[in-house]
Amino acid sequence: MSELGIYGLIFGLFLAAYLPRVLPIFYFSKRQIPSWFHEWMKYVPISLFAALVAKDVFIKGTAFEWRWSHVLTVGIVFFIAYKSRSMVISVITGLIAIYLTTIFFG
Amino acid sequence: MSLMSKTDFRKVWNSVLPLFVSYLPLGLASGILLQSVHFNVLQTFLISVLVFSGGGQFLVVSLLATQSSVSTILMMVFFLELRYALLGATLSHYLKQESNRFLAIFSQSMNDENYAVNHLKFLTDSSWDAQKALWVNWLSMLAWVLANVTGTISAHFVKIDSSLVHFALTAMFVYMLVMHVKNKKRLVAALVSAILAVCFMITIKNTFGIVLATLVASYAGHSFEQWQHKRREVANPTVIVEEQV
Repeated sequence: MSELGIYGLIFGLFLAAYLPRVLPIFYFSKRQIPSWFHEWMKYVPISLFAALVAKDVFIKGTAFEWRWSHVLTVGIVFFIAYKSRSMVISVITGLIAIYLTTIFFG
Repeated sequence: MSLMSKTDFRKVWNSVLPLFVSYLPLGLASGILLQSVHFNVLQTFLISVLVFSGGGQFLVVSLLATQSSVSTILMMVFFLELRYALLGATLSHYLKQESNRFLAIFSQSMNDENYAVNHLKFLTDSSWDAQKALWVNWLSMLAWVLANVTGTISAHFVKIDSSLVHFALTAMFVYMLVMHVKNKKRLVAALVSAILAVCFMITIKNTFGIVLATLVASYAGHSFEQWQHKRREVANPTVIVEEQV
């Protein structure tokens, strides 16, 4: 991306990050939060992270690719994240695991 | 901005200090990563002020590194930041007296962590007010911006393997995913989203597939929950009342 493109992207990101922050605070200072919105929002972050992880593990470019190194590492990170509940430990484990599994499985 | 008394400032400072400590390593990492996708110091400064979101900035790096289109990046960040709608909505209860101008300024610097601090303070400290809350927002932003800029500057002197860096982000997303699994329904939504993401990516050959997967899976999870509620309501009307308490 060009230098100017990055500035354009940052401006767009500002809107994408600001609108969800500012509109509800105005709107809901007078009204109740509708329950369907509240209920739907509970599923957005988890779906988003799942889609991102699936893309990182199974997609290379825009094609499917089964890489043992990635599949095993993500399995290990899942387990460690669940047990430790710590982001730092999960990320460090992930880095060590991808390094080792890449040596073993190429 | 009105000036604060010494005791007020101390109060603000004490409540924002934990954010300072946690933002430094996270902001450094964010700054280094932004540099790896060719952000200069000014651009890192701008994104840290204007987006001011750890998750959002990491997401941008991850998507830029895999050559995603601008529209995909904007939509993914929009969906990620949609959670602020709930945060803002719950805080708005305490900000009813404030002017529109104040609300516009306040919400720009609101994020997960300073929201958590302010919400707790509003609940437990009767002397807590909108001015103090705004200072918490701004001081936490200051810490975030300083750490990010330092990261981007220092990245020039550190050699990092970009594929390794990218996997650090994947591991972070896994962690966040695990933290959000609170019941079976959410786990199912996550599985559906993962499968759809792979299918959409292969068929439409564009990272917009992950936006679609997120939308469809979250809506499916929500619909399934509604359907379940309705079915239980029909089967046994008293159960639903108990659950809502």
